[in-house]
Amino acid sequence: MFKKILFATSATPAGDYAARVAFELANRFDAHVSIFHVLGVPSRGFSQTVVDVRTGENVVLDDDYKSWVKEEIQTYYENQLKDHKASDVLIEVGFPHREILRYAREKKPDLIVLGGSTDENDDSVYKRHIAGSTIQRVTKSAPCPVLIVSRPAASFWGGISSIVFGTDFSPASDVSFQYANKIASSIEDGELHMFHAVDISNIHSSLAMSQDKIEETLRLARNKIRSKYVSQLEGFKKYSIDVWEGLPYVEIVKYAREKQADLIIMSHQAKDVDDDNARLGSNMEQVIMRATCPVISINRHTSGLVE
Amino acid sequence: MSEETLCNRQPIQTEESLKRLLKDSGGAQYYKEMKSLDVDQDLLWSTIQKTCKSRIRTWLEICAHCGMCAESCFLYLINDRDPTQVPAYKIQSTLGEIIKRKGRVDNEFMHMAMQTAWAKCTCCNRCGLYCPNGIDMGVMMSYLRGLLYAQGFVPWELKIGAGMHRVYNAQMDVTNEDFVETCEWMAEEYEEDYVGLHFPVDKENADILYTINAREVKHYPEDLAEAAILFHIAGEDWTITSKGWEQTSLAMFAGDWEACKIQVESVYDAMERLKPKRMIGTECGHAHRATVVEGPYWAGRENGLAPVKCMHYVEWVAEALREGKLVIDPDKRIKEPVTLQDSCNYVRNHGLKKITREIMSYMVAPGYFIDMSPNEEHNYCCGGGGGFNGIGLYRKERNQALITKRDQILKTGAKLVIAPCHNCWDAIRDLEEEYKIGIRWSFLKPLLIKMVKVPEHMQPKD
Amino acid sequence: MQDILTGPMIWLSLCVFVFGMLARIVLYIRGLDWKLDRVAYKAHPKAGMKGAARSIIYWLLPFATTSWRKQPVMTVAFFVFHLGAILVPLFLLAHNMILKDMVFLSSPITLNMCVADLLSWGVIVSGIVLILRRISLPEVRILTTTNDYFILFLALAPFVTGLLARYQVGEYHFWYTMHILFGELFLLLAPFTKLSHIALFFMSRAQLGMDFGIKRGGMKQGVSMAW
Repeated sequence: MFKKILFATSATPAGDYAARVAFELANRFDAHVSIFHVLGVPSRGFSQTVVDVRTGENVVLDDDYKSWVKEEIQTYYENQLKDHKASDVLIEVGFPHREILRYAREKKPDLIVLGGSTDENDDSVYKRHIAGSTIQRVTKSAPCPVLIVSRPAASFWGGISSIVFGTDFSPASDVSFQYANKIASSIEDGELHMFHAVDISNIHSSLAMSQDKIEETLRLARNKIRSKYVSQLEGFKKYSIDVWEGLPYVEIVKYAREKQADLIIMSHQAKDVDDDNARLGSNMEQVIMRATCPVISINRHTSGLVE
Repeated sequence: MSEETLCNRQPIQTEESLKRLLKDSGGAQYYKEMKSLDVDQDLLWSTIQKTCKSRIRTWLEICAHCGMCAESCFLYLINDRDPTQVPAYKIQSTLGEIIKRKGRVDNEFMHMAMQTAWAKCTCCNRCGLYCPNGIDMGVMMSYLRGLLYAQGFVPWELKIGAGMHRVYNAQMDVTNEDFVETCEWMAEEYEEDYVGLHFPVDKENADILYTINAREVKHYPEDLAEAAILFHIAGEDWTITSKGWEQTSLAMFAGDWEACKIQVESVYDAMERLKPKRMIGTECGHAHRATVVEGPYWAGRENGLAPVKCMHYVEWVAEALREGKLVIDPDKRIKEPVTLQDSCNYVRNHGLKKITREIMSYMVAPGYFIDMSPNEEHNYCCGGGGGFNGIGLYRKERNQALITKRDQILKTGAKLVIAPCHNCWDAIRDLEEEYKIGIRWSFLKPLLIKMVKVPEHMQPKD
Repeated sequence: MQDILTGPMIWLSLCVFVFGMLARIVLYIRGLDWKLDRVAYKAHPKAGMKGAARSIIYWLLPFATTSWRKQPVMTVAFFVFHLGAILVPLFLLAHNMILKDMVFLSSPITLNMCVADLLSWGVIVSGIVLILRRISLPEVRILTTTNDYFILFLALAPFVTGLLARYQVGEYHFWYTMHILFGELFLLLAPFTKLSHIALFFMSRAQLGMDFGIKRGGMKQGVSMAW
C-alpha cells in the first residue's frame, strides 16, 4: 500500500528517528523513498538569496550550492541510502510546509514522513513568519497520510504488530480505518485495537455528565465501533474495541501505552491553524507530541484506499 | 559590446540569457565586468536631449541650494546627517553633473551614480513635499535610474528582475499555468473550510478583476487563498485572469521603461479582454504605483488612467467594511497595541492615507491603534523601497535604513505592525530579524480572515 | 553716465526683466510633456488647477506647510527677505515717482517711510541670516557654490546701496548711482540666473501641484495633499 514515501527532513539529528521509521517502512512495504529537504527560506524579497535553514545564514542560491547541499544530505543518510536502493534526494527552496504540500500535490506520494520540530527555541527561521508549524500545516492539508515521529521514544525498534486506530466517527475516520485495517491485516502478527475517547473535559459544558450518562455514552460508542467497522474487517480476528472517557489525547496515549502500540492511526480534525492555538495544538498534535510510537494522521483531503 | 558578457547595455530578453545571468552567483562576474563597461556618451546625451525637458531641467536649475530637503530624507537622518546624503546634493552630483557635462562622464562616475540611485534613494518622494520650489528629487532619481539602466549600470538583481518581466510578464519565473494551477490548489486546500470557495478564471464582465504579486504564487499562496476567501465572504462577483495577472514591476525599480510598458500592457490587455467593472490589486505598494499610477503613461494613455477603474486592495477592504459586505466580529478585533505602516507608493503618492485608517477603525478595538509619527503622507519609507530590499550589494545600507522605521515603531509601543504592502512587510520582517525589537507584523488578509463573520452557507457542514 | 543709467538703461533693464521672465514662463510651459513628465495635464483641468493652486498658496504662507514649520529660523528669514525684496521695489514711493515719469502709470499704493525702512532692514538682516546659513550649516554648505553668493549679492546690493543713499551715508550721489546700477543689474540678469525663480517658482510649484492633484492622489475623493 505504501509504494512511494516522501520523507521530509531538515537533515538534523531531530529527524534521525523519523529517518529510521521511514526506511523501515520502505523496507517492509518495498517502497521508494524520496528524501525531501527544503534548504532555505526566501529572504530578500525578489532576490536570489535564501536563509539556509541549517546554518541560519544568508546564501545566494545557485546550482553549485544546491548540489553541495544535496551531497551533504546524501552523506548524512549514507547508511540508509546504501541499504535501500530505491531512493533519491530532492532539494527545494521555500517554506517547508508549502514545498512539501506542493510536491505531494504533484507527485502524489502514498505517505509523508515527518520528524519532530526542528527547533525548540523561537529563533527558528520558520517560526518567525508562519503561523503553525510544518507538522500542523502539512497534516492539515496533505492529500495523503502523514506519519509523524516526534520523539526518539516514538520510533519503533522492532517490527510493527500492534496498531491503534483512534476514531471520532467522522468521514476522515472512515478513511483512517481503511488504512489501519489494511496495515494490520498485511503484517505478520498484526493486531488492530479500535478506540474512541469520550470527551468529558469540555470546559464549556456547564454540567458535568452524570456517571450513568457517561456509561451510556461509552456503551453507545462501543456499539457504534462494532457496527461501523467490525463488519469491514472481513474475517480479521485479532482486534479489540475500547471506549474510555476523559481528556481525549490523554486517553489515547494511555491506551496506546497499554496496548504497547507500534503505530497510532487517527484522523485530523482541526479546521484552522490559529496563532493562538498553535502552541496548545489540537488533540492530534498533543497525541503526536506525547505518544511513544509514530502517529499517522489522516485528514479530510485523503481519499480512501482503492481496492 | 561582446555578446558573451553578462554586463552590457542589452536588456535581458530571453529565458536563456536570464538563466545565464542568474547562474552568476550574487552577480560576481557581472559586477567585475561592470568595472570595465564603457559609457556610451553619445547615447547618454541624446537620450537626455530627447527626454529631459522643462520640468527636470528647471528643477535642476532653480534649486536654491537651501538645504531644506535634508531633514526630510530618512537616509540623511539615519546616516548621521552626512551632507552627501542631502537629496539636492545627491541629484545635483549625479544627474545635474551629467547634464552639465553633456554626457561626458566615465565609468567611475557611473558607478558613483549607480550607488547614489539605488543605495542612497528609495524614490519615496518625501523630499518633494519639503522643497519650497516643489522639486521632487525622487522623481529625478527615478529618471536617473532610467539613464543608468540604458547604459548597463544597474544592480544585478534588478537587471534580472527587469528581464523576468520581459520574459515572463512577472517578477519571477512564474508562468500563467503556474498561477492558475496554484489558485486551483488553494481552492482545493481551503474549500472544505469555506464551502463553495473557488477562483473564477477569465470571467467576462465581472465586477472585480483581481491582480497579484507573482511571489504569492511561488512562496505565499496562502495569500491567494485568503483573497479568494474574503471576496467569497463578501459575495463579490470577481475573477482572476490567466494572462496579465501580475501587478508588480521590478522593471520600474530598474529604470527599464520599455519593460515597464510591456508589463503594464499585459495587465491592461486583460482588462480590455475581460471588461471588469474595476481592477483590484493585492496588498502591494509599488505594484499599485506601477500599474495604476504611472502605468497609463508608459502605455501612452492620454488621460493618465487605466482602461478600467483601479483600486488598491485597501480601498476594497474599506469599502467592504463600510458597506457591510465584510462584517467584523467585535469580540475578535485587535486588542493589543498596533500601528500602521504608510506605504509611500499609495499613501504619499496616491492619497490613500484616510482609507487605511478607516480600516483600522473597524479592525482595532478603541484605544489600541497608535499612529506612527510622522504619519500619513509625511511618514517615512520602510527602508526597503525602490528595490532596496532585494539588492545584495547594498544590503548594509538597507539594514541601516531600517533603523528609521524601527525607531518609529518603538516609539509607538506597538506589538503588531500592520503593513499592507509586500515591500514594507519584507522590510519590517527584516528589521525584526536584524534588531529583534519583539514585534509581529502582518498583511490585512490574515487578520481579516480571523475576525470576519463567515456567512452560514459558507461554513462547513459537519 | 548717470543719464544713461537713468534713461535708456532703465527701459532696457525693465524690458529685459519683463520679457525675459515671460520668455522663461513660455519656454517652461512649452517644455512640459504629459508623456515624459507622466502627468495628464490637459485631461483633468479641474483637478490640475486645484492642485496647482494649493501647491502655490500653502507655500506662500509662512508656517502653512510642514516643511516651513520644521525650519522656523529659515522660514522667518525667507519670508522677511522676500517680503521686503518684493514689496520695496514695487511700492516704494521714489520708485513709483520715476515710473510715473516714464510710463505715466504707477502704483496707487505706496509704502510709508517707516514701513519701507523696516522692510529694507528686514531684507538686510535676513540676508545676513541666509549667508550665515550657507556658511555654518553642513547640509547647506555642501550645496553652496559661488553662484549662490553672487545671487545673494545681486539681490542685496540694491538694498544696501539704497539704504546707504537713504540715510545719506557718505556721498549721496555715489550711493544713489550704485543703487541704480545694481538695481538694473538685478533686472538684467534675473531671467538668466537663479533669480528666474521669481517666475519659475510659480511654474514649478504649479507643476508639482498638478502632478499630485491629477496623478498622485488629488483625484481620490475628499483627499488633498497636506503640504
